[in-house]
Parts: sequence; structure tokens; C-alpha cells
Amino acid sequence: MGRQVAIVSAGFSEHASKRSDVNMGELVHEAIDDCLKKVPSVGFEDIDAYVNGNMPAFEGSNIPELWITDWMGARNKPLLRVTTGGTTGGSVAIAGYYTVTAGLPGVDTVLAIAFEQQSQGDTSVGLASVAYGEISILNTLGISYDQITRLLSAGAAIGVAAYQATTYMNKTRITEEDLARVVVQNRRNAAKTWWAHLKMPNLTIEDVLDTPYVQYPLRYGMVCPASDGACAMLFTTEEKAKDMCDIPVYVNGVASVANETAVLGYDGSGSAQVDPSMQLGAIRSSELAYSQAGISFPRKEIDYAEVYAPFPNQELMWTEKLGLFEEATAPQMYESGVTAVNGELPVNCSGGVNSTNAIGASAMERPAEAALQIMGKASNQVPKTVHTSIGSGWGGSLNLITLMAMSDQPQRKWR
Amino acid sequence: MMSKMTQRKSLDYVKKDYVRTRTMPANWHLTSYKYKFNITHMQPFLDKLKEKKLVANRCSSCNRVFYPPRLVCGKCLVKPDKWVDIRDTASVSTYAIAYLKDPETGDVVERPMVLVHHDGSDTSNIAELHPDIDVKDTYVGMPIKAHWSEERSGGLMDIEYYDKLEDDSEDIETK
Repeated sequence: MGRQVAIVSAGFSEHASKRSDVNMGELVHEAIDDCLKKVPSVGFEDIDAYVNGNMPAFEGSNIPELWITDWMGARNKPLLRVTTGGTTGGSVAIAGYYTVTAGLPGVDTVLAIAFEQQSQGDTSVGLASVAYGEISILNTLGISYDQITRLLSAGAAIGVAAYQATTYMNKTRITEEDLARVVVQNRRNAAKTWWAHLKMPNLTIEDVLDTPYVQYPLRYGMVCPASDGACAMLFTTEEKAKDMCDIPVYVNGVASVANETAVLGYDGSGSAQVDPSMQLGAIRSSELAYSQAGISFPRKEIDYAEVYAPFPNQELMWTEKLGLFEEATAPQMYESGVTAVNGELPVNCSGGVNSTNAIGASAMERPAEAALQIMGKASNQVPKTVHTSIGSGWGGSLNLITLMAMSDQPQRKWR
Repeated sequence: MMSKMTQRKSLDYVKKDYVRTRTMPANWHLTSYKYKFNITHMQPFLDKLKEKKLVANRCSSCNRVFYPPRLVCGKCLVKPDKWVDIRDTASVSTYAIAYLKDPETGDVVERPMVLVHHDGSDTSNIAELHPDIDVKDTYVGMPIKAHWSEERSGGLMDIEYYDKLEDDSEDIETK
């Protein structure tokens, strides 16, 4: 069996829509600097291997890990690159976990880095290149290309999310006000987080509902921004972690599960999930990760959750599908303040992806923030003591879900 | 237990602007593509469309019916080889509304983008509604019927759009 893995630190760079004052390497170094500052006894010479990743199609500069090697301090060290679209960060964190748990000789401490500098390129063009292979398969069915562009004019992640939102709203009978309430909570939380992008301490539900529709039922004020930013996490073994920091966070369960294609389906033959808000992948990933972590009653045992939700309807949907709330009850939980910072189960106290979205990095910022909440080092720290937390990730076109379950106690049952 | 680190102020982030930059004009014309697709497995489906008939293929392992036909059932890794007839009635499985700006007049047009679920099939498929249907009247589960175009070429475009049917399902009070 693999070794027990612990997170000893996590760091972020400042996020903004255009970080034109730094290049990609300097941006990454900012996050590493913040990560290593929290563990004074660890230097670059203590790091044995590196895992990194971003989504190069979204920023237009390819194989960045080769020329930013020196900014990461990875010279003459093993370097692995992972790219899985929207979940890149989550997959990088899981790859960091696997690298440590594998028990290779001489590889104990691994630095995982995820980053994105979207202002360098055109993200819409990148998304189009991802979607084109899928769209073009409709030609087989005799649909010409001009027709397809009309059909999929919204395209990309928001197209998928709008379909999810319509069925979710139909199922739970909620209104746009409920969606706006989630946004207000997130953006107000972001105002207390130093690295977040959209900080709006005085946002109200009316402000959100005043903005025009991007695509019904999602309004401009509900949609995530496009940010530049980076995130770094330090993984190590149980023994070394105790020397490095006061409260090591143990990674007890990881999972990454994908659905069938969200809209067009395999071979362009339509999605086999008639209801887009069903999300079997999320349910399956939570089953996998919780069984590894020994979590039998997620609603009782999980103290803090960071879910990957660029759009407010997804935050409601994921919290249900990941077993945190009963089906169709999440809107009431947001209304009654259960998910607030001082609530029973705080969700996304960093502001979430809804406030900060540097695509490659955002799926790693979720487990990173969830780990910092256990350590008590988070920027917007919850007042209660957090023992167990989860961080999830979501990728658009295939509904790929990554999930990491963490705790301040190591899980030894299955080892 | 709260660490002192929590109160730490943000990094000293000062945004610097470059004073001297150079702008170089450049163009990047992407070439046209030629993709080849396998349509052997859906040839019966395309032929039947000319006769205003809809067929779908069924996985003999999990009994799911795929419309339009699929080469492989991803769940069972089995070739769906049974052909079944399905009806031309369908229901709206989900929808979203896109707001498109006309490049000439500048008017914003509302266009519903729907996924339809054909009766008798297990998949949903992308489609268009009748242009006269008011966007605000669209709802999940709305019954619709395929409207065939006059000249059919053996493709999914033979279904020009979907007409709205009268909804005879009883209203259920949900609270």
C-alpha cells in the first residue's frame, strides 16, 4: 500500500484580470514564494520533485514548464506536467499526491504548481479549438457548419452550465434570486481574501439581478471572471510533515471521474444524460473519495467544503451531488446561512471560482484553501475548528470531476 | 487554533506598467480543414430520414436506445447493432436562451437553444424550435413534434425545426 501523504503548505499569487506587471514565470514564483513562506524550515533544496500544469490552449503559449523551470527552482529535478482542461489544478494536486504515495526512493517532498495567465492570449479562441473537434462531428449527421455555430453560439462552459441551470431550477423550483444569493455570499467572502479577484464587499441581490443576461438563466453578474494567477501546494510524507509544520493536513481520499460528453455526446450522438443536472460523475467521485477517507456520513463529518462553481447554480448542484446536503435543499441552506463563514457547514469562504477563475489554477485553489482552513492559516478563516474538508474540481465538456478529501487525522483503516 | 499568519497582510503587490513597448503588426490566417468521418454505422439512419422515418440503434447489452445512432456504447463497450423505430414526437429536455446581436442592425435577438429527447430514445439531441414559438413560453418537458423539410437530403437537417404540441399532461402542484 502507498504511503500516507500530508499537505504542509499552500500558497497563492495575487489574482487580477491582467497581471501585465509579471510574466508567467514571475507569477508562478509569487505563488511558490507565498507557499514556502508559511514553512520557514523548507527551502528549494528540500524539494525532491515537481508536478505542474496549466491549460496552454487558453493562453496561447505552449510548453511553458520548460522555460519557467528556473522560476520554479526545478533545475536538475524530476518534472511532470499534467493538463486536463478545467480540472488541470485538481489533476495536478492528485498527481502530486500520487508522486509522494508511490514511495519512489529519494522522492519525499513534491511541489505541485498550477497556473494560468489568461491575459496573454484569447481564451475564447482556445475554447473554440477544444470544442471544434466535438462540433465538427455533427457534420456526419449532415448539419452544416454555419448551422452549428448558430446552434452553439453560446458555446463552451457557460453553454453547458446554462443547460444545467435550467433543469436544476425546474427541479427545485428556485428563482434567479436564489442564484443571486449564492453570488453575493461568494463575492463578499472574496473581499476578505487577499488573493481573490472580484472583491465586492457591498454587493446586494438587486445589483446582481440588474445586470443583463449572458444566456438565460445566467446573468452577467453571476458569471465568473477570467483571471491571471497561480497556486502552489507542498506534499510530503507523514514523518517529514511533522517536522515541517504544526498542523499537517493528511490527504485521505482522491478521485477523478468523468461523465459522458455534456451536450453533443460521444460520436455527436447526443448526451446519454437527458437531465444535465443529474451529474452521475460527481456522485461517483464522492463515493470513491469518501470510502477511501472513511467518511460514512459526509453531512455530519465534513466541516468545510470548497466546490468548483464558476456559476451559482453549480454551487447549489455540487453541494447536493457531493453529499453535503439532501437533494434539492441547497437553496434553503444558503438562505438560512448554513453555508456562511460562521455557519454550520461553511462553503467557499475564499469566494470560490465565482470570484476568481484562473482556469488552470482554480481547481487546485479549492483543495489548497480547504487545507489552509484545517491549518488555521486561511485568509478568511472560519471561526470553528475544521477537522475534515473537501476540495473539488469540474471540467466543462466532459463533466470531469476531481475530488480531494483532507483531514487533520491520518486515515489508516484501508492501509 | 488560529495562527498569526492569518493576520498577515497581503504581499506587497505594486502594479508596474511598461513605459516602452513595441507594437508589431501581424496576421495569422488559419487554413481550412478537411475532416473525415465514419458514417458506415449510421447509413440506415440517414437513408430512413429521406422517407421521413426515424430509426435509432439499441445496445443489446444495456438496452439503451441511441438517437442519433452511436458507433459504440460507452458503458458496455458493445456495438449497438439492433435497429429500432422511434416516434417523431419529442419533449424539450433542457433549454437555454442565447442573445445574439445582429451585425447589421445591432438588434439583440433572443434564440432558444434546446436539447430534445425523442420518445423512445435514451439520449437528448441538439435541435431548433419553430421560429414562431415565443421564447418565454418554452419550458422543460414541453411536447414537440418534428417538422420535415420539403427536400430531404439524408441528414439531420431534414428535420427543419420542431412544432409545439398541445400539452395535455395534468398540472401537478409542486410546493
